Amino acid sequence: MTDAPALAEFFAAWDLFRAPALAGAVAGGLLGVVGTYVVLRRMVFLSAVLSQAAGLGIAGSWWLQVAWGVPAGLASPTLGATVATAGVVLAVTVGRALGGRQRDALLGWTYLACEAGVLALGTRVVHELHDIEELLHGSAVAVTDDQLAFLAWTASAILLVHAWLQRGFVQVVLDEDGARVRGLPVLALELVLVGSLALAVAVTTRTLGALPVFAFTILPALTVLRLTPNVPWALLAAGCVGAACGFAGYVVAWRWRLPVGAAQALVAVVVAALGWAVGAVRGRRE
Amino acid sequence: MTASPTTPLLQASAVRIGHGRTALLPPLQLTVCAGEVWGVLGPNGAGKTTLVRTLLGLHRELAGKVRRPQTIGYVPQRSELDVGVPGRVLDLVRSGCERGFSVLVPFWERTRAPQAQRALADCDLGDLALRQFRELSEGQKQRSLVARALAADPSLLVLDEPTSAMDLDAERELFALLRRLAARRGLGVVVVSHQLHQVLQVATHLLLVDRDQDALVAGVRHDVMHHPAFRQRYGQALEVTP
Repeated sequence: MTDAPALAEFFAAWDLFRAPALAGAVAGGLLGVVGTYVVLRRMVFLSAVLSQAAGLGIAGSWWLQVAWGVPAGLASPTLGATVATAGVVLAVTVGRALGGRQRDALLGWTYLACEAGVLALGTRVVHELHDIEELLHGSAVAVTDDQLAFLAWTASAILLVHAWLQRGFVQVVLDEDGARVRGLPVLALELVLVGSLALAVAVTTRTLGALPVFAFTILPALTVLRLTPNVPWALLAAGCVGAACGFAGYVVAWRWRLPVGAAQALVAVVVAALGWAVGAVRGRRE
Repeated sequence: MTASPTTPLLQASAVRIGHGRTALLPPLQLTVCAGEVWGVLGPNGAGKTTLVRTLLGLHRELAGKVRRPQTIGYVPQRSELDVGVPGRVLDLVRSGCERGFSVLVPFWERTRAPQAQRALADCDLGDLALRQFRELSEGQKQRSLVARALAADPSLLVLDEPTSAMDLDAERELFALLRRLAARRGLGVVVVSHQLHQVLQVATHLLLVDRDQDALVAGVRHDVMHHPAFRQRYGQALEVTP
C-alpha cells in the first residue's frame, strides 16, 4: 500500500488545487440547494436524466467540433449541455399531464437514450474518449480559473433567483393544488424551478461529470431533511453539506489517489448515511 | 371581513363535471352562502372529488359556469401530503397566507403574522405552533391543515375527506370546529365526507352525489334527506343511526 501524502501538502500546493477544489464546493453547494426541491418533489429520477442529458449535450458538442468542424464557439460543451437539459425540461413540462407511469416511462426512455447516445458518440470522437469517460464518471482534475469563474457566476445567479422565489417554489413543490386555488402563478414558478435545475445540472456536469452531479443533487437533501426544523433551514443546510462534500471529495481523491467524481460521490454517500443514522436516533428519542 | 349570511360565495349554474367529453353527473345548480355548512355525501367513486375540484377551478367544467370567491381555503385529502417534509405547525400555517403574486414580495408572509396567529387560535393550536407537524396526532394534523387554509382569510373553506385515518373523537372534534368556524368567521364551508352521522350533525345543507342513481341533489339538509335518492342510498344507515 502506498503512503498517503499529508494534508499539509495539499494546502502547500493550494494554487495548483484551488480551482478544482473550489469548483467542487461551488457545484456541491448549488446542487445541494436546487436538489432539495428534487427530493421534496420526489423527482429523483429526473435529476439523473438531466445529468445524462447534459453528458449527451457535451459529447454531442465535441462530436460536432471533431466530425463536422463546427467552431468551438458555436458548439461549446456548456451550450450543448444547456440545450440538451432544456430539451428534457421541455419534454417533462409538456408531459406533465401524463399519468405517473407514463411520465416515468418517458424519463426512463430519455435516460437510456442519453446514456447510449454518449457511449455511441464516444466511438466517433476517439481523441475525446478519455474526456467522455471523465464526463460520465466525473473527474474535476483540470478546472481552469475561467471555468471556475463561470461556474461561480452562474451559481450566484441561480441561488439569487432561488432566494427570491423560495416561498413560491415550496408552495408549488409541496402543495400544487393549494397553490392553484390561492391563485399563485404555478406554471411560471414551476418553469423557473425546473429551468434553474436544468441550468445548474448543465453547468456542473461540464465541470464535475455526471456521477457527482447526480450524487450532489440527491444526497445533501437526504442528509438534512430529518435534521432541520423546516424547509428554509433544510435548503441552507443542504447547500452547506453539498459544498463541504464537493470540497472534501476532492481532498479525499487527492489524498488516496481516487477518481475525483467517485470520491466526491462516496463522501456524499457516507455523509448521507451519517445523517440518516443521526435522524433515526433523534426520531427514536422524540 | 365577515360576509353577511345571505352573501352568495360560490355559485354553480348548470355545471356539468366529467373527464374528457364524458359527463359524470347531471347538471349542478348550487349556491353556497356565508355561514352555511355543506356536506357532500356519496359512495366511493361517485365523483365527489372531481366535483369539488371542478368547483375549486382545479378541473375544467364540461359546461355551465362557476363563480368563485376571491379567496378560498382548501384542505386536500391527507394522502396528498408528505409528512416526511420538515416543518413546524407555524411554518405550515404561515405558508397558507400566500396568495396570488405575494410569493414575489420578500418577507410578505411575515407581514401576515396576525392572520396566522388568528388561524392558530381559532383551531386551538396556539400551544403546538412550534411543534413539528410530523409529530402531531392525526386530529392535530388535520386541525393544522384547516388553520393553514384559514390563514389566507378565505370566505369559503373546502375540505376533501378531512377525517380519513382519524379516530371517532378526533372526527367529532373536527366537525365541531367546522361548525364553530362557520359561525364565528361567517365562512361558507363545503366538506366532502363519508361520515354520514357527523355530516348530518353539522351540515345546514347537503349535496348528494350518486352516479349509480344518476342523481345530484343539492339543497337544505331537511329537503335532501327526504329526497328519494337520499332515502335509497342512506335509508338503512339512517334507521340504525342512534
